Amino acid sequence: MTVSVAVASVCAVFGLVGIGFYGLMMSRNLIKAVVALQIAVKGVLVAMVLAGKLNSQLAVAQSMALTVLVADTIVAVLGLALAVQIRRHFGSLDTTEISTLRK
Amino acid sequence: MLELVPLIIAIPWFGAVVLWLTGDSHPRRLGWMAMIFSLASAIPAILMIFEPTAIDFVIPIGGVFGDFTFHADGLGKFLAAVATIIGALAVIFSQDYMAGQAQLARYYAFILFFIGGMAGLVLASNLLLVFFFWEITALCSYALISFNNDDPKAVAGGMKALVMTQLGGIGLLVGALLLYSQTGSYDIQTFIHTPGVLSPQLLSLMAYVFLIAAAAKSAQFPFQTWLPDAMEAPSPISALIHAATMVNAGVYLLARFYPAFAAVPGWRLAVMLVGAISAVLAALMALAANDLKRVLAYSTVSQLGYMFYAVGAGGVFASQFHLMSHAVFKALLFLAAGAVIHVAGTRDMRQMGGFGKQMPLVRTVFVLGALSLAGIPIMNGFWSKELVLEAGLHSGALWLYALMVFTAGLTALYTCRCVWMVFYGEPHQERHLHDAPSYMRWALIPLAAGTLLTTLMAGPFSRMLERTLPDHGIHAETTFHWLMEVVSAPATLIALAAVAIGIAAWGWRGRFGGLARGLRWVMHLADNSFGFETINHQVVAQVNRSAETLRLTQTGYLNWNVAGITFGLVVVLVLLAVGG
Amino acid sequence: MLELIVIAAMIFCAVMAIRAQRLLTSAIYLAGCSALVALFLYQLGAPEIAVIELSVGAGLVTILFVFAINIAGDDPAQHPPILPKPMAWVLVLMAVVTAATILLPNYDTILPLVSEPLDDTLWEKRTLDVILQSVFIFAGVLGVLNLLGETTYDQEKHS
Repeated sequence: MTVSVAVASVCAVFGLVGIGFYGLMMSRNLIKAVVALQIAVKGVLVAMVLAGKLNSQLAVAQSMALTVLVADTIVAVLGLALAVQIRRHFGSLDTTEISTLRK
Repeated sequence: MLELVPLIIAIPWFGAVVLWLTGDSHPRRLGWMAMIFSLASAIPAILMIFEPTAIDFVIPIGGVFGDFTFHADGLGKFLAAVATIIGALAVIFSQDYMAGQAQLARYYAFILFFIGGMAGLVLASNLLLVFFFWEITALCSYALISFNNDDPKAVAGGMKALVMTQLGGIGLLVGALLLYSQTGSYDIQTFIHTPGVLSPQLLSLMAYVFLIAAAAKSAQFPFQTWLPDAMEAPSPISALIHAATMVNAGVYLLARFYPAFAAVPGWRLAVMLVGAISAVLAALMALAANDLKRVLAYSTVSQLGYMFYAVGAGGVFASQFHLMSHAVFKALLFLAAGAVIHVAGTRDMRQMGGFGKQMPLVRTVFVLGALSLAGIPIMNGFWSKELVLEAGLHSGALWLYALMVFTAGLTALYTCRCVWMVFYGEPHQERHLHDAPSYMRWALIPLAAGTLLTTLMAGPFSRMLERTLPDHGIHAETTFHWLMEVVSAPATLIALAAVAIGIAAWGWRGRFGGLARGLRWVMHLADNSFGFETINHQVVAQVNRSAETLRLTQTGYLNWNVAGITFGLVVVLVLLAVGG
Repeated sequence: MLELIVIAAMIFCAVMAIRAQRLLTSAIYLAGCSALVALFLYQLGAPEIAVIELSVGAGLVTILFVFAINIAGDDPAQHPPILPKPMAWVLVLMAVVTAATILLPNYDTILPLVSEPLDDTLWEKRTLDVILQSVFIFAGVLGVLNLLGETTYDQEKHS
């Protein structure tokens, strides 16, 4: 059985994004949520480069992926900073305990 | 040449920023600065009137917003002048009225912001820009109505004004986006020249959403309830909202787009109906009200109803002429009422009475304004109202005309009642009242003179409108011709008779005791604002209930939110798979 | 064939990062996943982005994770998830399966070989991206300052 690299790459994208979303739905820990978000964005990164490759516009795709990567890193940094602050204020990283919307 | 159009907007806005930054530390200096800025903004507005042609001014923006175009034609010039001049007088009046109050920087800054916003609204020629200025006036009206923000009634009144006028804002936005989606441009002028760019269905949709927008802004039926509640504002603000910067925008919108929508089936009748119903209901409510400012607020709704009626009947000139008269005499009435309330310490007319002897100046100017409101000859309100009625008689249904004439009688009746209860009759208060102080006089006397003199502008005004608004079907005549037209028309006699009956009904109110008792249920209904207040309360309660119910879906848990996002993704993907 | 192995290892690391009980383990697996993604991007013919992913994704972010976990504390106690597990499974699978049915039939092609200089494109054609990135980096600096600044504050409070 032979599988083309393109199909395998698409499967990798789906796998990473799916795992990321699953993690976001299941984890109650904020830092774990940031980890899950990172995984999902890695999938997007692969998808962008793959799309550039398929359309013979790899340079454009790479430059866009670079933006995504930078944004993703900043999201991670801000998320972690937020998590640390929340831990300090609420004494917990559990998303159910820090929610104030419920009366 | 100096660009006048941006100056009219920029001077008051610049003043607003300066005043806001100045702060409250020197209230007297603050008041002077506000007066200087508001008068300075009136200068380019007046200069612009003497420009013979329409003035165009463009800020190139491009893209989806279109260029920010301004087109100062007769309509825009006139309303900008009204906004700035009446606004300046309100600021002058405030010097005495607001003396000693806290947070005057906020007060004056918002007034100037309001004036600039209204001037921009009437001068802008890009529909998106019109929407932008429209929302600025809504915001400023909210902020000023709720100026005494520790008074829950004032806050509620401001909130109500904001929510109700937002309905109108949505209508305007829908219309703007509709125009853009079909033509790729927001330009009003080209749309008015060639309304055929929209298909008939879309054109009529746009016409009716604009009617909703105008009705909400001008507090017309069925949105009339916000204006009386806005009376919690300080009196100069009421004058500003009623005469200069807020409610005129609705009439302006209809008059501006009249050539485009006139051919839409049923639209003109709908406009006339909205105007007539508002005029009658508000006049009845004014008759039942005991709060001095509420009476005036209802009378505004009623008079705006006349303007709507005139636009619907095709009398754009008549409606704008009445708007001019109304702006002058309503500003005068509100400011004079403010002077009364300032010294009496109450707004309840039942506790007033016999004020005339102690405040001769205020009495004189108030009576002048009231005569104008009632439509007594030689006052400006008389001529413009007759022109409105004449326009209605020529091209509207007879029963609507009869309704408007009946309302003219009611107007005379409630005006007499109001004047009598405040300035004549038995005194109910044993206190010394002083007449209007100097700044108040400076604001009141020009307006009082205006009630006698603005009629003389009929000729030049109609010429200005005709020259710059080719699509509106306006015929320029000399002032003398307009006056003769009113005097010679038989309709005038009918209306005058109705007014006379109204006055007589007040004079002989004792003898009609039986009739009055028979009509008590009408007054009772009017006192309860014909059930519209109840409807409002129910809508608010319903919205609150559904918000409480929907709140259950917002747990604030990240996991649920992501689940929702994923579900949305699945839905989109399935739609793509099925549809694509 | 090497690509398939890399993909399998990448997915394995991702799964382990989610399944790990301890946050630190999770962060290490994430670093591994990042490194493998970088390798895979290199194999796809995008060496520039691969290098950046390796240094930033696997390096910098991992350090930040370890740092943050160090401050916030690693809490090994397991809380039961608030969503039912099958529901999450169903949602994810539905999304993946529908997307796959749309996309996969179109992707059974041999990847074309292309090479285009990245720097020209980045600096000349995508100036907006560069501006955006500098804005992002500025935000990131603020975030790092926040992380660091509060540490000293915390130490002062405890000392």
